[in-house]
This record gives sequence, structure tokens and C-alpha cells, in this order.
Amino acid sequence: MTMKFVICFLTMSAVAFAQTYKAPRTSDGKPDLQGIWIARNAASFDVSEIAEDRTIPYLPEALEREAKADRVDPIIHCAMPGVPRITYMPYPFEIMQRPGYVVFLYEYLHNHRTLQVKQREHLDGIDLFLGDSIARYEGDTLVLDVTSLGSRTWLDSARHTHSDQLHVVERYTRIAADKIDYEATLEDPLTYSRPWKIRMTLHRITEPGFELKEQECIEGDDGRAIHPMYRPWSKS
Amino acid sequence: MALIISVILLVAQAAAPQIVPPGGGNFADTGPKIDVEKAKAFKPARTESGHPNLEGIWQPRSSGAAYSILPHPGGFFLGQGSDTGIVEGGVLPYQPWAAEQVKYRREHVEADPTGHCHYEGIPHALYFAFQIFQTPNKIAFVHENMHAWRIVYLTGDHPKDYLAWMGDSRGHWEGNTLVVDVANNNDKSVFDMAGHFHSDQLRVVERYTLQDENTLIWEATLTDPKVFTRPVKMRFPLVRAPKDFMIMESGCFEDERDQAHLKDAALPTNHYNEEHEKEKK
Repeated sequence: MTMKFVICFLTMSAVAFAQTYKAPRTSDGKPDLQGIWIARNAASFDVSEIAEDRTIPYLPEALEREAKADRVDPIIHCAMPGVPRITYMPYPFEIMQRPGYVVFLYEYLHNHRTLQVKQREHLDGIDLFLGDSIARYEGDTLVLDVTSLGSRTWLDSARHTHSDQLHVVERYTRIAADKIDYEATLEDPLTYSRPWKIRMTLHRITEPGFELKEQECIEGDDGRAIHPMYRPWSKS
Repeated sequence: MALIISVILLVAQAAAPQIVPPGGGNFADTGPKIDVEKAKAFKPARTESGHPNLEGIWQPRSSGAAYSILPHPGGFFLGQGSDTGIVEGGVLPYQPWAAEQVKYRREHVEADPTGHCHYEGIPHALYFAFQIFQTPNKIAFVHENMHAWRIVYLTGDHPKDYLAWMGDSRGHWEGNTLVVDVANNNDKSVFDMAGHFHSDQLRVVERYTLQDENTLIWEATLTDPKVFTRPVKMRFPLVRAPKDFMIMESGCFEDERDQAHLKDAALPTNHYNEEHEKEKK
């Protein structure tokens, strides 16, 4: 009884906290997400860790396809990791906002996403690793609608795959000075029986003077990437 | 992978010779000329932090520098010839051992790191279109080619015990010019496909100045006491891309086995300065 009360109280205060926090604004009045962020989880090894109900609703035929597919994680060949995986790679990334633009600079394999904040049609007939993202703000949330992701990337190194029909909607909401609530909905009629969600916290790196470093992937003679799976941390 | 791309490019070139080469790296000497007096008189728009506003997508007119930074005939890939190159005086002051190394590298194009999809380094990354974003303390350069990016910090010092393909960039403003000091360069990146290289002692001091609203001047002084006998100066103009341009994804990842083919693909037209010199005589 006491425990229930405590949990209930904690949940309510968390909700109240989220509701009372107001993200600072950029010069053009948008919620300010700028800073260096990192996901502190192991989702890049197994995305089900952050999946709603820890479940990925696979279609039987997709599981069959997966069983026959290549068993080597594409990032071993220095490929870009795709969306949403790039967000939970165990490396920091920086968000910059300029009027009309949002820029994501990822330390991992120097990926970047340069997004114009405007309504437009998605690109058609092209497959990209990080997809075609259309950015918009909904209140305190930055929403990225991502298509054209191709079928070559995996969601993690546990061989959770997708088809080129994957459609990801990412939602970035700053819920505290050092926290972004990240939620993504994944829809892929050739792979999943229904849209499903992943959710995690992105943590701001507050170490003074912290800067992104260069992370380059070098494919060795045996075709395997030569780079650490985790960023080697000095502090924090 | 590199082989597949080259085959596609060659096929595309044969099928449609009128196509203008994409990107900036292979543009010839056409386009705006650098006019220093004009740049001095120009009053650029300012960012909210009061600095000249360099934001936008810039397309370099780098005289086929990706092919060779020195004067060169056209040939390999979509490379266009250039009578000027981007190096002042058209000569690189190599130390004797380094000149030998250039010859070796010309004969081993398969070792070119860009063929292995590596970061290009500065200045190499600047031969292709990129976008500048300015915040009060940081200026981001987002490159299309090789999905590279670099942050120029207006604060802090170069780190110690750190070498990187793109180096470490610290910038400051001198009047209307952004001056960027690029240190911590590794010895793996190269200047072009013609074997021109540097050591980890390379230091690049870049100067970015708007000549008019749509023209940006890039100038640099490069010092490398291990490789060159004196500082080297380079420069080329860049033009602002049309409004509807966007920086796209360039996903380059190689298959090690294809590299051997690159050498053969390059050989027939892989002739640079000496041949060009002969032609001029």
C-alpha cells in the first residue's frame, strides 16, 4: 500500500515536472534543443530494450525473410546506421538550430542530417541511409517524418531489420534542461503487423568544454570495421 | 563500390555528354573571379551575434582541384582541365624526399584514401558543395561529399595528443573575414587524386571573405615543415547555390576488394604535371 502510494506519487510528480518545464526558445521562437546529447542505453545492440512492451510486432513472412538475410551487421562495413538507429548509437551528437533549419551532427562515423523546417513532399524514387526527413515543430516538440530509408540498414546489431517501406516519425521533446524525451513510431507494412513505438531519454552532456571528436570507420583488410563500439569516455 | 560508381559515371558520361558534372570538385575555371578590392568594399549582412553572415550552401569553383590542385589537363572521371589550379604560382615546393613520394603515389592511385571513402581533410573537403551554419560560438561546415562535417570553434584551443582527418579548427573574425586555424591534421588525408600530400605537421590557416552577397573567397596558407620548403598559398572562389538546393546524403562505404581495379581504371589518363608541362612547351 505504502509502496503503491510512493510509486503513484513519483509518477504524478514526474508528470507534473514534465508539464511545468518550459523549454527555452531559440531566436525565432522554437523550442531550443541545442546541445550535445547521448542515449545511455544498449538499444544499438538490441532495440527491443526501448520498444513499447519490449515487443516488435513482426509479420511471419518478415521473420522468414530475416532468417535468410545476411548475418553481418551493415555497420561492420562502415555503412551509415540509418534512422532511428543513429540516435541511439553509443556516441554523442550535437543539435544546432538556425532559423528555418535543424542540424544534427553525429559523432558516430561523422553522419549528419541537415533539415529544412518546411512543408514539402517527400523525395521519391531514392534510397538513402539516413532517409529523407521533413521537419516541423508541434508545440514543444520537434517532429521528423522520415521515409526513403531503403532496406539496407538494421535497427540494431541483433538483426532487427526493415524493408524499404519503413516510415519513421521521430518526436524530440525537451522535458528538462538536460533531458529530451525521444519517441519514434515505426511503420512498415512489409515487416510489421502494426505501427510500433520506441521511447528513450536523451541526456545532455554537461561536462564543461565537451566537444564532439572525429570518429572515422576504417574497414580492415578482412572487411571488418576498425573502430570501438563505444565512445571511450574520459569523464561523466 | 568505387568501381561500380566509376562505371556508372562513365556510362552516364557516354550516354549524355551534355550533362554538367555534379558537385564543385570538378568545375573548371569558369565563373566569378576573385576581386579583392570588391571584397574590401563589400558590406556583408550580419548574423544576430553581429558577425558577417556566411550562412548558405556554397559551390566551389575549385578548378578541378579534386583531380589535381596544380594546373592539369582534363581526363580521369569527369575531371576538367585547369590552366591555373588553386595553388599560387602553380608549383608545390616539395622537399626532395616528398617529390619522390608524390611520384610513388601517382603510381598507386589505389591507395588514395578518398577511394576508400575516408574523410578528405582540409582543403580537400572544400572542393565540393557544403553548407555553413553560424551560432554565436560555433560555425558548422556540413559537407555533402563523404557525409563529412566540421565544427569551427570560436572558443578554446587545439587539443593535445589528437590527430584527425579533418583536423581541429579554431576560428576568429578579422574584420569581415573568418580566419580558421586548422591544426591536429593527420598524415593520411591528401590534397587531390594526383598524389599531392602532407604530413601530420600540416597547418592550414583559412580565410573566408564575402566578395558580394553570392560570392565567397576562400584563401589559405599551408605550412608543413616536413614536406614543403616554404608556405603554400591557395585560393578559389565559391558561389552561392540556388535557394531550392539542399545538402543531400552521400553514403560512401567501400568494398576493399574493389580497390585493385581503381588503379587500372585510372592509368590511361592518369597523367598530371609533367605531361602538362610538356604540352605547354
